[in-house]
Amino acid sequence: MTHQFPALIIVVPLLAALATPLVGWKNGRLCYYWAVFTMALVCFFAIGLLRSVILNGPISYHQGGWAPPWGIEYYVDYLNAFMLPIIAVISLIVIIYSKHSINRELGGRQMPTYTLILLMITGLMGIVVTGDLFNVFVFLEIASLSCYGLIASGQDGAPLATFRYIIMGTIGASCYLLGVGYLYIVTGSLNLADVSQLIPPLYHSRVVLSAGVLMLVGISLKMALFPLHTWLPNAYAYAPSSVSALIAPLFTKVAAYLMIRVMFTLFRPDFFTTIIPATTILSWLAVTAMMIGSFYAIAQDSLKKMLCYSVVAQIGYIALGIALANKAGLIGALLHILNEAFTKGCVFLVVGAIIYQTGDCTIDHFKNLFRRMPYTMGAFTIGVFSMIGIPPTCGFFSKLSLLMGCIVDHHWVFVAVLLISTILNVIYFFRVIKVASFEEPEADYGRKAPYDQVRMEEVPLSMRIPIMLMAAGILLTGIFSSTIAKTILIHIVPAGF
Amino acid sequence: MKTFILALIIIAGSMLIYGTQDMPNWGDPQSPASVHVSPYYIKRSIIDTETPNIVSSVLADYRGYDTMGETTVIFTAAIVCFLLLRRRDEDEGDR
Amino acid sequence: MLELLLSKYNYWLYVILMMIGLYAMLAKRNLVKKLIGMNIFQTAVILFYVSIGVKTGDVTVPILPYGHHHGHEQAINVAHYLNPLPHVLMLTAIVVSIATAGVALAVLILIYRRYRTLEEDEILKINQEAGT
Repeated sequence: MTHQFPALIIVVPLLAALATPLVGWKNGRLCYYWAVFTMALVCFFAIGLLRSVILNGPISYHQGGWAPPWGIEYYVDYLNAFMLPIIAVISLIVIIYSKHSINRELGGRQMPTYTLILLMITGLMGIVVTGDLFNVFVFLEIASLSCYGLIASGQDGAPLATFRYIIMGTIGASCYLLGVGYLYIVTGSLNLADVSQLIPPLYHSRVVLSAGVLMLVGISLKMALFPLHTWLPNAYAYAPSSVSALIAPLFTKVAAYLMIRVMFTLFRPDFFTTIIPATTILSWLAVTAMMIGSFYAIAQDSLKKMLCYSVVAQIGYIALGIALANKAGLIGALLHILNEAFTKGCVFLVVGAIIYQTGDCTIDHFKNLFRRMPYTMGAFTIGVFSMIGIPPTCGFFSKLSLLMGCIVDHHWVFVAVLLISTILNVIYFFRVIKVASFEEPEADYGRKAPYDQVRMEEVPLSMRIPIMLMAAGILLTGIFSSTIAKTILIHIVPAGF
Repeated sequence: MKTFILALIIIAGSMLIYGTQDMPNWGDPQSPASVHVSPYYIKRSIIDTETPNIVSSVLADYRGYDTMGETTVIFTAAIVCFLLLRRRDEDEGDR
Repeated sequence: MLELLLSKYNYWLYVILMMIGLYAMLAKRNLVKKLIGMNIFQTAVILFYVSIGVKTGDVTVPILPYGHHHGHEQAINVAHYLNPLPHVLMLTAIVVSIATAGVALAVLILIYRRYRTLEEDEILKINQEAGT
C-alpha cells in the first residue's frame, strides 16, 4: 500500500483544498474540521513514507507511469522522508491551534484562508517530494502564491510588506528557473537524478557554473539568507498570528532543504567547495546573518518582530551547517531544521496566544504574564531554552553538532560567532522572561491586584494543547536526537564526507 | 542608490553574458537539449498518445503533472483575490 | 567576434531584457512600475527557454502531419521538428507569471485602498507620520 504514498501525499491535500470552498460555502467554520481531518491523513502518509524508507530504502514513483527522464519522477530518499513528517506534523498542530485565532483575526473569511493553507502545504510537500527540477518550480510557486495571499490578509502594514515579498520572491523563483534552464541547455534533461549524472564532465563549463550560482542565489532569496533577508521580518510580523506560526517554521526550512538538495544531490559536493568557492562565501554570509539577526532582534520592542529577526539569525545557523560541507556540519544543519521547526512553531503559537488574550505583543506589557498564562509561558520557556541551546532540548544537540563541524575543519572564527550569538540569544530572550515573570506590575497599570493574586487567564484548550504539543516535540526531538541522527540523518550525508 | 543599483545590474548582466559563452549555438540541431530527452517525444507521441500535436501530448500526458500544478496555481491566485478583495468592501463600507 | 555575436546574440538579448526588468524592480519608486518590471523579468526567462527549443534548417512546428500511424517510428525525422519540451515548460511558466501578476495587482488594490497612493515614497511618509 505504501507504494502510492508519494502521490497521495500531494493529491490528498490538493483535492481537499479544491473541495474546501464547497465544504465552507454555507458555514465557514466547517473548514477548520475539514483541514484538521486532511492534515491528519497527510501526517499518516508522511510517517508511513518515513517508515517505509527506513525499512525498504528509497522509493521511486513514476507519475502517470512515464519512465523518469521523460516523465516526472517522485523520488523519496532519507532526506525527503525526514522533511515530510516535519512539515505534516507542524502544520497539523498549527491548524488545530488556528480555530479561535483565525475566527477572531479573519472572521468570515475562514473558507479562503483554509483553502490557501492547504494549498501552501501541498506546495511545500510537492517541493520536498518531487525529483524533477521544473516540478520544483511549479510547487514553489503554488506555495509562494498562497503564502503571499495569507500574509496580505494580515493587519495594517501587511499589503506593502507582501508586495515587497512578491517582488523578491519572484526574483528568487525566476533565478532558480533560469538556473534550471542553464542546466537543461547543456544536458537536455530535467530529472534531478539524470542531470546529476550528466553534469560532472561539464563542471568547468561556464554555463554550469552560472547555473549553480543562479540556483543558489534564487534559493537564498526564498530562504531569506543575509543580505537577501530584507523582505522577511515585516512580512512575517504583519501576517495573522496562525499564518506566521505556519509559515515561519516551514517555508524557510523547505528552502533550506532545497539548498541541501542542490548542493549535495544535484551537484557533487566538491563543485561548490573547490570549483566555485560558494561554501566559503555562504559560510561568511551565514555568520553575518547570525550576528545581524541577533542584533536587530535585541532592538525590537514587539515580541513578534523580535522572533522574525530570530528567524533570520537561525537561518544563518542552518546555512552555516550546509556551508561547512562536512559530516558533523550537515547533521547539525538537519537537526537544526527539525529543532527550528518545532521551536519557531512553539514560540509563534505562544505569540499568537498572547495576542489573542491581551491584544498586543509589546514586550514591556508582559508583566505578570507567567501568573496569567502559566501553561503558555511554560511552553515559551522551553522554546527559549531550545533557541539558546540548553539540554535536553533539541537546540543543544544541533548547536553541538554545528560546533563540532566548525572545530573539525578548524574554523575558529565560526566557533566564536556561534558562542557569541548564543549569548545574544540569551540576552534577548531573557529580557522577555524577566519582564513576564519577575517585574512587579506598576501601581497604575490598571490591574492593581498584588502579584500573587493575579487571576489565571489562559487561552482556550484548543490553543493550549497545540502549544503544549510543540513544547513536548522540542523535548522529545532533543531526547531522541541521537537516535534520529543514527537511523535517518547519517544516510543523508553524501559519500566522501 | 540609483548608481548602486545600476552597478549591481551591470555586474549581474555581465556575469549572465559570461555564462552564455559556453552555450551551444542558437538553433544548433545537435545541441544537448535537442538530442537527449526531446527526440523521444517527437518519435513516440503518435504511438504513445495518438496525438499529432507534440506540445499537447507532452503537456497533458508525459508531463501532465506539471500541468496539474499549473491549474492549481490559477486556482490559488483566484482564491487569493477572493480572500483579499471580497470582504473588504462590506467591512469598510465608508470607503 | 562577429561569429560569436551571430551565434549567441539572442541569449544576450534575453540578458538585456532581464536587466531592464531587474532595474525597474529595484530602482523605480512607483509600485505599478515595479510590477511591470517583474513581468519584463519573467518574460526574459520565458524568451530564454523558448530560444532553447529552436533548431535551424528545415524545421517546422512540433505538430506531426496526418498519415503517421502505428509502427512508423523511423519515418519521423527528429531534426525536422522543433524541440517541444521548452514550449511545454513555458506554457506553465507563462501561467505562473500571470497568476503572480494577478496576486500582485490584488495586493496593490489593498495598498491603494489603505494609502490612496501607489508611490513608495509617499506611503513611507504616511507610515512615518502614523508612527510618530
